[in-house]
Amino acid sequence: MSEENLRRRRSIFDLIDEYFEGLEAWAERVRETLLERPSWNCRTCTIEPLRDIIVTSDEVIVTVDLPYAEENTVQVKPISKDTIEVSAKMRRKVSFDDFGITHHRGEFQRFQCRTRIPVPVYMDRIEIRFKRGILEIRLPRKHEYEIPIE
Amino acid sequence: MNEEIRIIERKEIPKGAVMLFGFPDVGLVGVIAASHLISELGLEEVAYIDSRLLPPIIVLHEGLPHSPVRIFGDKRILLAVSETALQGELIYPIMHALIDWGKNREVKMMISISGIPVQDRQDLEELKVFAAASNPDMLKMAQDKGIEILREGYMVGPQAVMLQYCATIGLPALTLLAQCFFQYPDPEAAAKVLEQLENFTGLKVDVSKLLEKGEEIRLKARDMMKRTQQELAKMRKTQEYDIPLYIT
Repeated sequence: MSEENLRRRRSIFDLIDEYFEGLEAWAERVRETLLERPSWNCRTCTIEPLRDIIVTSDEVIVTVDLPYAEENTVQVKPISKDTIEVSAKMRRKVSFDDFGITHHRGEFQRFQCRTRIPVPVYMDRIEIRFKRGILEIRLPRKHEYEIPIE
Repeated sequence: MNEEIRIIERKEIPKGAVMLFGFPDVGLVGVIAASHLISELGLEEVAYIDSRLLPPIIVLHEGLPHSPVRIFGDKRILLAVSETALQGELIYPIMHALIDWGKNREVKMMISISGIPVQDRQDLEELKVFAAASNPDMLKMAQDKGIEILREGYMVGPQAVMLQYCATIGLPALTLLAQCFFQYPDPEAAAKVLEQLENFTGLKVDVSKLLEKGEEIRLKARDMMKRTQQELAKMRKTQEYDIPLYIT
């Protein structure tokens, strides 16, 4: 590597880039580790549903896929300032047998999951709707400070 | 033939078939559609992929091992399907190997079945199907069947590699994309794209069972969708939402 390249490599911007790349890789490893668990729990007879979070400039939209869910049993509870819990009863019991799996035993009739909201929100202004088995939760964002434009 | 990927044939392969691809992608549209085609048309496994590039996974059916990437078929169609989410770096070698194999077996056309994510999908009553093709004749054929063309934009995943490679080697190819959920299995989108597929294969497929079993499929497909989400994120699939800078 030439001297010029070495000098360029040591610039503050390279160091910042390297720091953020490292941080991104670490976050990816943590995320994958957290995801590596069964999506069902035989002790609580619950299934963890698929979910997604979208953060826009003024709200956070959480969607949860709840096939077979009975609409009137869908519950969304804020359990802390940044976490919500979703649960719903299913119209029918589902067992491993239904999926052709014989090496596990268990029956499930409930969805349950907890989701952390990544930015500050007003939990008391939560809006919920349920359509085509998709639960949509809208939370207005809290903007705790503003940067004045001169 | 790609030396790192072997395609092992289990049955005699017909000539002049249409080759279809149903790979894990947004809404698992391709995989759900492929699974329905296999059961409705009674397709049999005719070949499978053997490769050390694949993760050390087998799929057990009735206690017996199967490759996660297999080709099903009959005299009219050959259908390549993956039962596991594929890492981005595997897509080029796997698609090239499958396309080279199909070309050697004189397939007349390749069609990839997939989805195109749309915001607020749950509010859509009627889903549209879009098409992109490897050459102007295929594009015209899709237009003549009343399918809207995906004119500008990015495409990420197996269907992108298929279109590009087929364009390079001069094999007619088409990608059919139904509007779908990005993150959730979408059997309705799979049914929609199968309805359009009839225009190109001549195969009438009843999708009523697929629609009836929609909720069951969504529940069954959760784990595969979760693994696919991880791979789509690494592939930067959200680039399909980007507006391209068109360079003539």
